[in-house]
Amino acid sequence: MKIVTQAQLNQWLDAIAEEKMLVAPVEVEGKLLYQPVDDSGAIAWGYERTDMSPKTWLFPATEPILTVEEGLETAIRPAQDPEPKVVFGVRPCDARGALAIDALFLDQDPADGRYAQHRAATTLVGLSCPQMWDSCFCTVVGGAPNGSEGLDILLTEVEGGYAVQVVSEKGEALAAGLQGEEQAVKLPEPVLREGLPELRATDEWRAQFDERYWERVADRCLGCRVCTFVCPTCRCFDVRDEVATHRPGVRVIERLRAWDACTVSAYRRIAGGHNPRPTQHMRLRNRFYCKFMYYPEDFGALGCVGCGRCIDACPVGIDILEAVAAVAETAAHPEAVG
Amino acid sequence: MSGQKSERVESGTAAPARPTMEAQIREAARAYLEDVAVSCVIGYERGPRGNVRPAFIYEADDVDRLVWGADCNLNLVTYVHNWKQPLGRGQPVPTVAIVARPCDARAVNLLIHEQQIQRDKVKVIGLTCAGTEINGQPRLACQYCDERVPVVYDVLIEAEGEVTAAVEADAYEDIAEMESWTPAERLAYWASEFDRCIRCYACRQACPGCYCFECVAEQVDPHWTSIALELPEKHFFHVMRAFHLAGRCVGCDACEAVCPMDIPLSKLNRKLAKEVEAMFGYRTGDDPETAPPLTTFDPQEQLRL
Amino acid sequence: MAPEHPFEPKIVGFLCNWCSYAGADLAGTSRARYPQNLRIIRVPCSGRVDPLFVVKAFQDGADGVMVLGCHPGDCHYQQGNYFAQRRYALMHRLLEFTGLEPERLFVEWVSASEGKKFADVTTAFTDKIRALGPSPLKRKRAVGQPSPEEVLA
Repeated sequence: MKIVTQAQLNQWLDAIAEEKMLVAPVEVEGKLLYQPVDDSGAIAWGYERTDMSPKTWLFPATEPILTVEEGLETAIRPAQDPEPKVVFGVRPCDARGALAIDALFLDQDPADGRYAQHRAATTLVGLSCPQMWDSCFCTVVGGAPNGSEGLDILLTEVEGGYAVQVVSEKGEALAAGLQGEEQAVKLPEPVLREGLPELRATDEWRAQFDERYWERVADRCLGCRVCTFVCPTCRCFDVRDEVATHRPGVRVIERLRAWDACTVSAYRRIAGGHNPRPTQHMRLRNRFYCKFMYYPEDFGALGCVGCGRCIDACPVGIDILEAVAAVAETAAHPEAVG
Repeated sequence: MSGQKSERVESGTAAPARPTMEAQIREAARAYLEDVAVSCVIGYERGPRGNVRPAFIYEADDVDRLVWGADCNLNLVTYVHNWKQPLGRGQPVPTVAIVARPCDARAVNLLIHEQQIQRDKVKVIGLTCAGTEINGQPRLACQYCDERVPVVYDVLIEAEGEVTAAVEADAYEDIAEMESWTPAERLAYWASEFDRCIRCYACRQACPGCYCFECVAEQVDPHWTSIALELPEKHFFHVMRAFHLAGRCVGCDACEAVCPMDIPLSKLNRKLAKEVEAMFGYRTGDDPETAPPLTTFDPQEQLRL
Repeated sequence: MAPEHPFEPKIVGFLCNWCSYAGADLAGTSRARYPQNLRIIRVPCSGRVDPLFVVKAFQDGADGVMVLGCHPGDCHYQQGNYFAQRRYALMHRLLEFTGLEPERLFVEWVSASEGKKFADVTTAFTDKIRALGPSPLKRKRAVGQPSPEEVLA
């Protein structure tokens, strides 16, 4: 396996940053965010897990999908092609998050053209986790701290530097510029968290849909969008046509797509005012069920990769792993339902 | 628990100590659930990972879930907005009991004045408070707070020792400092702070004063602001939210506590509180009768615009 | 790209129907001159002017915003301008605190008979904004996308 020193890695990253956009974890006022960097020196080396996932680089928080110029003639222009970019320091869970979004946006017909463009233009360079952190539970949902699924290249910290695993063709092309030494090396096993609950099959979730547990958890849900926005797999969005500018005779309208969340009350409200999920308990339950039942049944992938960001970010301590454990507990002891 | 300005004596030390605040809260909750027709007691509990979170207690047997400590920070009064409707057809509006710090309790007066709740439907379990902490650090709001006993309560939970109102800092020192900067410097400051904002609306949802069915930031018609998660929209949202709370904000700083990006939102609210105090001598939530300044006027006044 | 030309500010004015708008009318019939930069939005009362309008005006391209109402005591609806006075005293300070130059928001009382005053304050305000330059609060398009202006050019 190719081993690179920190210096060689930095050199490679600096060269990438010259040629295209390099996105990596940086620290902003104490928060770790994936942002464009000019060189490897700006990267927040030694980070554990970022506060926001790199999702925005494949599925931007805001983007114009097309522009309509309304005048004597009407012209519709698609949005500009996305810039080629490399996202460095992607954790294995976040890469699986991209695969989860692919299950809907790429693998269903019709594919989401805009997302497909971003995906094609982006190379994901992963960094293996030496351990599972405080709120991580990737192993519960089929992931691993050193998993390479969804990545183009995976780097693992070893003595003296990093071991480089090329995972895809895109990764191979990018790794060609990476100088290193071929060495035999045994990759360290990541330290796992013990005592995590078991994720039950979708049928069990279906059976527990009407449990009062969901109401009790939702009592404290504020109905904000934090969990959805920090999540690497959440992909619901709002689309609105907005007048961007106008002058006499011409109006420019942008069709904007922006992140949205099923946790807010207006999300599922339809024309006429009816809301199929009028209570917070229905909305919160929907979020969990989408991840662990609807999405896997409809699109073949779990909607959760166990990154734990929602657990840390939720201001009222709603814990998705607790929900998984509750379902497992109820399944094991159906008579003790509270 | 820092115990800087009050002493919290653990039960089991020298008698006859007053029971701990936590024990008193549990007793009050038990009494409400058993004796008075309270549907729910809203307080704090610790989750399995040790973090404090809101607790909703429905049975007297569960009151031991309730805790109190320096890390208890959300304004629980905000949940009263979920309890304003009858629980079923033909039923009365429920009564709930809420654990409230002095800052939180002011929100009760505000909401009574704004006819969102009736006084007899809310039982305030008021706490004498020496300040709470975020991540082990005393909250900014607490350093400026001169209030130790809530302005409104049905049951007063008293701390062991003397809870003095030793105010450590001038409430508006940081605001005054920012006022001395140039407009461009302030713009750059807020641009860098709002840049991190993800428009999650946690601040709005946590605030007891924000209870509009449809926020102007989400309205489609009229279309006030774009759905984009970009700086101008975030600037718009925070400025307008702060303004909609002018004279109504109780200074609980729940907005800042819940922000996932640690944006210093309370500066906006405290700036307005400073101006409201200077112009109108008004402080939100003193009592349920006095109207917030923007909902009333004085024909004689002349303000510098 | 659009041809270069010297900066001419866009001024938005919220004028109350009964006093300041009538005052503007009087300026017109008296042939009192004032700059063409002003876009007038007639409202029934200065109390109708929601601070939302002001912020949205700035975001949508205004370099300066005026709110003109009846003199206190003369409001057609008795009270509207009293509310406006309180509201704008606070809004002005908040906008200033978040980085807008305080001169960009101008609130004044102009009666129906004060045509010359209207022309004078509008001219002075426009001159001041021209000197200050474009407002920092205008919305710009996202990174990597052409701005609508670029699209139109």
